[in-house]
Amino acid sequence: MIRLEGVTKVYDGGIVAARDVDLDIRKGAFVFLVGPSGSGKSTLIRLCLREERLTKGVIWVAGKDISTLPNWKIPYLRRSVGTVFQDFKLLPSKTVGENVAFALEVIGRPRAVARRQVQQVLELVGLSTKADRYPHQLSGGEQQRVSIARAFVNRPPILLADEPTGNLDPATSVGIMRLLDRINRTGTTVMMATHDHAIVDAMQRRVVQLDRGRVVRDQRESGYEGNLDSTIEGKA
Amino acid sequence: MTRLWYLFGEALTSFRRNVLVVSAAILAVFISLALAFSALVFNELVNLNTIRWQQGNHIIVWLQDDLGPIAHTDLLGQILAYDEVKSADYFNKAQAYQEFQEMFADNPAILDEVDPNVLPASIRIELTDVDLYESVQFRLVGEPVVRKIDVQVEAIERLLSVTRALSAIGIGLVVLLTTSAVVLIANTIRMAIYARREEVGIMKLVGAGNWFIRIPFILEGIIEGLIGGALAVGAVLFGHYILSGTSTDFFIRLQVSGDFLLRWSVAIFLFGGFAGFIGSSLGLRRFLKV
Repeated sequence: MIRLEGVTKVYDGGIVAARDVDLDIRKGAFVFLVGPSGSGKSTLIRLCLREERLTKGVIWVAGKDISTLPNWKIPYLRRSVGTVFQDFKLLPSKTVGENVAFALEVIGRPRAVARRQVQQVLELVGLSTKADRYPHQLSGGEQQRVSIARAFVNRPPILLADEPTGNLDPATSVGIMRLLDRINRTGTTVMMATHDHAIVDAMQRRVVQLDRGRVVRDQRESGYEGNLDSTIEGKA
Repeated sequence: MTRLWYLFGEALTSFRRNVLVVSAAILAVFISLALAFSALVFNELVNLNTIRWQQGNHIIVWLQDDLGPIAHTDLLGQILAYDEVKSADYFNKAQAYQEFQEMFADNPAILDEVDPNVLPASIRIELTDVDLYESVQFRLVGEPVVRKIDVQVEAIERLLSVTRALSAIGIGLVVLLTTSAVVLIANTIRMAIYARREEVGIMKLVGAGNWFIRIPFILEGIIEGLIGGALAVGAVLFGHYILSGTSTDFFIRLQVSGDFLLRWSVAIFLFGGFAGFIGSSLGLRRFLKV
C-alpha cells in the first residue's frame, strides 16, 4: 500500500529530515512511526501526502508513484488518503456534520449520498447525536473523533495519523486508538506517527523507529522500546 | 449544478464573514470607477462644448449685400481655389436668420426685435492649417464684396490646447484609478484568503482540486467588482441628472447624450467585474502552490 525506496528529504538550509528510508507497508497493516521530536516522523507523513517533495528516492502510495505525480493530480492522491492530525484541523464555523460532509463536498459527492455517508460515519465514531454541534462545544477527544470521521468518510484505503493523541489525556487516547483499530479492521491501512509509549506498548503492532531521519528499528508486534531479539533491522 | 451553487454559497459566506474587507474592496472599485466615469463624462462635455469651434469656421467673411449673390458665389469660388483652404461654405441671409433663430430660441424678445434682412450673408472658411490664417486674411482684405473678416484662430488654438490637456489628464486619471481598483481588489482577495488560510489548507488536505478552491475567491472578486461598478454607474448617472438640471446657460451644455451614458454605463459595470476577476486572479496566484 505504501512503499518508500531510498527516500531522502533535505530541507532548504541543509536539514536532513529523511535519510535513505526504505519502508514497505502492506495493505491492511497498522504501523507506528516512533522516535523523538525532529526524528522525521512528520516529514515521512508529509512526503506521503506530497505536502513536501522528496529530494531523492521513490514513494508509492496506493499503487501510484507519487514522486513523479504532476501537481494537478495531487488532489486525487489525497482523496485516497485520509489524514488525522494532532490539532484536529476542524473548521470552527462549520458544525460537526458539515465538517465531515466538507470532505465529500470537495470531491463532488451528491448531497443526498453525502448526508447518508456522514450519518453512517458519525455513528461509527459515536457522535451521531452531536452532528449539529460546533467544534468548540466538544471535548478534545470528541473533536478528534470528528476529524477521524472526516478522514474516513469516503472510505480511503489509507489513513495517515500524525500524533493524533498528542493533545489528549491517556483515557481519551485509548478511545481514539480503539477507533483507529476498528477502522484498521475494515481493511484500511493505517500509519500513525506518535511518541506516546503507553499506546504503542498496549497495541503491540509493527513499530518503525526513526532517529535523525534514519530508520533504526523495524519490528513486528512490538512495544515502543522494542526487544532486541525480534529486531529485523537497524542498530537500536 | 449543486456544485456550482455550493461554490457560489462559499463566495457569499466569505462575503458575510469579512464585511469590512469586502466593503473596502467595493468602496475602492466604486470610488475609482466613479471618478473614472466622471472623467469620461467631463471629457465628453468638454468635447461637446468645443466641437463647433474645433471644426470649421476658422475665418468668417461677412459679405456686402448690395453686390448681389453672383459676386458672393464668385468670391466663394475664388476662396475655394486657395491652397490653405480646406473647405468653405456659403451662408445666405435666410440661413443666417435661421441660425440666429436657433441661437436665441429661448429669447423671443430678441427675435422680435431683429429684422431678418439685417443679418448679412457670409462665407465660412475652414483652413487646412490654422496657422495659415494670415495669408488668407491678407488676400481677402481688398475685396469689394467683403464687409468684415472675423478670424477666430487664436481663440480656437487656446481652446484646443486646453481640451487636449483636459483629455490627457482625464485619460491619465482613468488609467491610474482603474489600476488602483485592480490592485485593491487583489489585496482584498489576498486578505480574504489569508483569513481563510486554515480552511484552504484543510480543503487541500481532503483533496479539493485547485479550481474548486479558487472559484469562490474569483467569484467573490467579480461580485465585489460588479457591485462597485454598479454603484459607480449609479452615482455618476445621478450626478449627471442633477448637473443637467442646473444648466440654464445656452452656451454651455451640461448634458451628454443618453446613448453615450448607456454605452459607458454598461462598459463601466462590466469593467468592474473584469477588474474583480483580474484582481482576484492576481491575489490568488501566490497562495495556491500545492
